Amino acid sequence: MREKLVVALAAVAALLLAYNLYHIFLVLPDEASQGFIYRIIFFHVPAGIVGMIGFFVALTFSVLYLSGGDFRYDSLAASIVEVSVMFSVVNLVTGSIWARVIWGVWWTWDYRLTSQLVCVLIFAGYLMMRRAIDEPTQRARLSAALTIFGCVDVVIVWKSIEWFRNNHPGPVLDFRTGGGKMDPAMTHSLMLNFVGLLLVATALALVRTRQESAAREIDSLRRAAHV
Amino acid sequence: MDARNFTFMFYGFLAAWLIVLLYVVSLARRSARLRKELEDVKQLVATAPENRV
Amino acid sequence: MNFFVQSFAVARKDLAIELRTKESLNAAGSFAIVILLLFSFAFDVDEIKDFSGGLLWLVFAFAGALVFNRGFARELPNECLDTLLASPLSAAALVIGKAIANFAMLLVVELVSLLVFGIFYSVDWLDLSGSLGIVFALATWGVAILGAVFGALTVNLRLRELMLPVIIYPLMVPLLIGAIELTTAVLQRQPISGHLEWIRVLTASDIVFTALAWGLADTILVN
Repeated sequence: MREKLVVALAAVAALLLAYNLYHIFLVLPDEASQGFIYRIIFFHVPAGIVGMIGFFVALTFSVLYLSGGDFRYDSLAASIVEVSVMFSVVNLVTGSIWARVIWGVWWTWDYRLTSQLVCVLIFAGYLMMRRAIDEPTQRARLSAALTIFGCVDVVIVWKSIEWFRNNHPGPVLDFRTGGGKMDPAMTHSLMLNFVGLLLVATALALVRTRQESAAREIDSLRRAAHV
Repeated sequence: MDARNFTFMFYGFLAAWLIVLLYVVSLARRSARLRKELEDVKQLVATAPENRV
Repeated sequence: MNFFVQSFAVARKDLAIELRTKESLNAAGSFAIVILLLFSFAFDVDEIKDFSGGLLWLVFAFAGALVFNRGFARELPNECLDTLLASPLSAAALVIGKAIANFAMLLVVELVSLLVFGIFYSVDWLDLSGSLGIVFALATWGVAILGAVFGALTVNLRLRELMLPVIIYPLMVPLLIGAIELTTAVLQRQPISGHLEWIRVLTASDIVFTALAWGLADTILVN
């Protein structure tokens, strides 16, 4: 049943993203000042948003684990964090390439890129910590605690880096076209890509969750066999 | 400028999809490894009942 | 026993041990002085005032990791940690108590570093002690509470000495930014009233991290 759901999600996502790719490349016009490169926004922004949403969904599952003790919530939280880190890395890499073209440098300490980097580092630390703990209950408990701390800190990080950048102005990655608002046709493509990437993220997270359950099953069989 | 724009945009899309693809491949490999490990452990449990208390 | 009595009892115990052995203070203090020395080769001494805050707080952050690592690790031999957890002491009191001890030790390291910094880089800060005191107190508490919480979290992990800095530094970013901005401003003799938003960031972070530490202590320290 779950495999069918994953395949269905992946299929819908693939169709959506393929249709959107056609639309992005062949239908939409070039942006006034940036030319061709602006099309990267259609992956850069949705990937970032999917990643951010993922971290907060993982927070919800972590809290649910702590209240109920059901390991499925821990598996879900860990899987979603992993997929979200992946999408956040996509956000950083595409942002870097975009910056290379527009600003001539591979990295700028733009407040959004910087905050996203700090986010990725916090949750990369989470993934490293999980690998360092063998005992499932301790792993689940400490992961939940770190997710809660991490997500609360992410909010403070975003705000403080934004204020820091106000004091020390630097280049700002801005995708606004023309007078500051995005063309509705572009917004439409952006939303479709966001939905497509969200479906991909969900499918990947479900696959990863299944793997976590399998790993737990192996672990409990080993303990039962005293191996 | 336009040609350079197009090249970098291509790299951008390539990078995005490559990262996703690498992750999917790592998931697939992990699935295969876990499946094999599960089979092995099940076999171990089935063939060595005297190990259990 | 009252929560604060418990916390201060834990802090007093840790500080008493530290006063006797001085292992964390010596290590962290020496490390801070060495880093300040290395910075003199890396940067032009005359321009130091522009980024004095950054320099100092990087030193404190690195030295702090040495202090935090010892915090809960010193309880591992002879199953002291298990005994503490089995006692009537609440987990939250244990974490807050460790944080108080971290705070005191880090303040000592900071004072020594500031003295050495003033000498090495000809920076006059004695008349700015009041403002510096406020900034250091606010930022150091936040750093100390993070150190205590994640010291507890990583105490039983493999590669504890590596995992603690890896986890804690990204979380510390808001505190470090605020501390750096305020310290640089104070050392450049700007009034602290012109940077109140950073005071607010530090205060808010302190409150949030302390509340989270208090709430999650049982989760992290379950036996």
